[in-house]
Amino acid sequence: MKTILNSVKNIEQIFGVLAKKIQRPDLIFITVEKKQVLSVLSHLRDIEEYTHLVMITAIDYLEQGKFQILYLLHNYKNNTDLGVKTFISREDAHMYSAHHLWGQVATYQRELHEMFGIDFPGSPRVNENFALEGWEGIPPMRRDFDTLRYSQETYNFRKGRATNDPKKYMKKNLHKE
Amino acid sequence: MSLKNFVAPFYVWKRAFEKPLTNTKPLETRPGAAAYRGFHVNDIEKCIGCGSCEEICQNMSIDLVPVDGIETKDGDSGLRPRIDYGRCCWCALCIDICPTGSLNMTNEYTWLEEGDGDVDDKFIFTPGVDKKNWNNLELGYKRPVDYEILEYSKIKMTIMETAERSDSFIEMVKGYSKEEAEREADRCVACGICVATCPANMDIPEYIKAIREDDLNEAVRLLYKTNPFSNSCGRICTHRCEDACVLEHRGESISIRWLKRYIMDNVSSEEIKSSLADEFTKNGKKIAIIGAGPGGLSAAYYLAKLGYSVTVFEAKEKAGGMLRYGIPEYRLPYDELDKDINYILSLGVKIEYNIRIGKDKDFDDLYKHFDSIFFSIGLSKPYSMRVEGETLPGVISGLKFLDDVTMGIDPKIGKSVAVVGGGNVAMDAARTSKRFGADVTVVYRRRLEDMPADLEEIVEAQEENVEFVVKAIPTKIVENKGKLYFSWNNAKMVEQKDGGRPKPVAIEGDITTRTFDTIISAIGQAGDFSFLPKEIEEKLKFKWGKVITDKSRQTADSKIFAGGDVVNATADAISAIEDGHKAAIGIDRALRKI
Repeated sequence: MKTILNSVKNIEQIFGVLAKKIQRPDLIFITVEKKQVLSVLSHLRDIEEYTHLVMITAIDYLEQGKFQILYLLHNYKNNTDLGVKTFISREDAHMYSAHHLWGQVATYQRELHEMFGIDFPGSPRVNENFALEGWEGIPPMRRDFDTLRYSQETYNFRKGRATNDPKKYMKKNLHKE
Repeated sequence: MSLKNFVAPFYVWKRAFEKPLTNTKPLETRPGAAAYRGFHVNDIEKCIGCGSCEEICQNMSIDLVPVDGIETKDGDSGLRPRIDYGRCCWCALCIDICPTGSLNMTNEYTWLEEGDGDVDDKFIFTPGVDKKNWNNLELGYKRPVDYEILEYSKIKMTIMETAERSDSFIEMVKGYSKEEAEREADRCVACGICVATCPANMDIPEYIKAIREDDLNEAVRLLYKTNPFSNSCGRICTHRCEDACVLEHRGESISIRWLKRYIMDNVSSEEIKSSLADEFTKNGKKIAIIGAGPGGLSAAYYLAKLGYSVTVFEAKEKAGGMLRYGIPEYRLPYDELDKDINYILSLGVKIEYNIRIGKDKDFDDLYKHFDSIFFSIGLSKPYSMRVEGETLPGVISGLKFLDDVTMGIDPKIGKSVAVVGGGNVAMDAARTSKRFGADVTVVYRRRLEDMPADLEEIVEAQEENVEFVVKAIPTKIVENKGKLYFSWNNAKMVEQKDGGRPKPVAIEGDITTRTFDTIISAIGQAGDFSFLPKEIEEKLKFKWGKVITDKSRQTADSKIFAGGDVVNATADAISAIEDGHKAAIGIDRALRKI
């Protein structure tokens, strides 16, 4: 039976790996170059038996001007998970579409497009609304999205809102004047 | 239209008697996942209303509100979080940051309420206070065990190694570096719960913020607003604020005292002067202060700032009171105390040294020539042990011993010393004796945990190899060939029926006798009011040996104010400083008749 370590070793040899983290014996994350991602995913699916795409997600590294995209794959034969990570530019945020490899990829990519503003040219229906109908302004999962400002502009305070500062409240009640 | 078209709809009727091909949808609702971020619950007994949840909330959906039946008290604002579910986005940051761990989420996620005119108000609720059907649910989002937003460990303070300090009077605590202080200051959530616990109500969160922002001039201004002895307090304060610190609930409190010291260690006397830029015009009124301890000089400082001419009468040759003559140099070096005193003197406060009121100068004289009098004379009369042999040479009081050491007099204690008592004076006497090379035994009538001394003093004394004999009631002292034979009756603790603290009761016949060169008695002290003329003493009111004053520290004689250990029950430096401050305000109000 193939092991996760062997699979990772093969990826290292064939495509090159920039970073590797063994989180658990059955969960390893590898970081590969952006232009190698589709080849790595194909290889993992067709050769290394990582046939199931669990999810795709992204992380905003605002300070470094980068997005990280993570593809999480599962191998049903040896019950291990392999995470494939890559970094893309935040300014020109686009990634090669992987919709031809798994049917559900198009949906994940549509979600990432909406939530992070990452484009996947050629991905079916990628420009359609996913969950945020009529959303304007910067995508909400970007870290420069100002949650408080958005909720101030969008939602009201319910009736009867009023707060107390603990320091002042205690001064009023406790201090020995 | 063919006949078939006409009849076909009736064929479906035959299906009416067959088993359906679809499954019935279960009607019960699906429970949320085990760690679902559903509706909030709050353990209101555990919650102290620090407001960290409100502060971190990204949507301003949390208010802190008073709750019936929850009292505002030391360490608890009495407020509890109320959440606006029209704004909450279930990010759970409020749960992650909660320093007491009282706020959590359940996996309940449906809340239907009949609509009426006031429907808006229903989805704003106080978890744990308002009755909700999810209040007792076990499942739901909790902060993961190894995940903390806050830092719960103190930045370690460098303290001189035991071996090095046992025979040295050099200050043992080294103080924080800039980097350490800023990291420690970073841990503070600025809830302000500590402020009410500080006897002087110092603005702790603000001066910690000034450290974070590296604005020590502003920090000094904040300190002096309520405390002109910050350099000393940064070293020896009883730091009750730290007991109230919100981080204490799941970790270690902020080292508030060491942060105060960091500020004062890093500003020179010139910088203190330029930061404070105290300016005032003299109002022509004169105030007499008796006792140049923290209480008296604190009053002097705030009175001088209000424009009064202040004269302080001090019986000893130097100022500082118990800070100088009671607290040993390894905890508070004299030049650090002088830094505080010198700034106060720079405002024109005069001290007349070696003047004992009632002996070198009459109280009546002050009463006649000054507009108001404040006395803060401390407790100088040691309690008697009431045992045979107490007056033998070699038996001395803790106060006298510490006094002599401060004045550079060799106390000649010999090789073995017994210290009787369990308070801070006893610890200071024991540890000072150790530094003179003696083997030291502390003899205390109750248990270690009953000792009124600060825990850190007890621990440090133990580290320095001071021996502790507890549950020992002194019975007699006998002298033979220069040696003191000290006997005590071993005791057992007996619980009190009325719920009072357990009492030591002598075990009959169980007597221990050991020999010592010196016995230091430090079982407490009382105020000495013999300086007061008879008619004044009769006019003032006393209870349990303390002077009774009103909130402005005014005594029963409207011209006389009092503070410090002879007034307050806590009898520590910071309380005396607060008394001085309050008396200064009180005197000003009384003289300006407002």
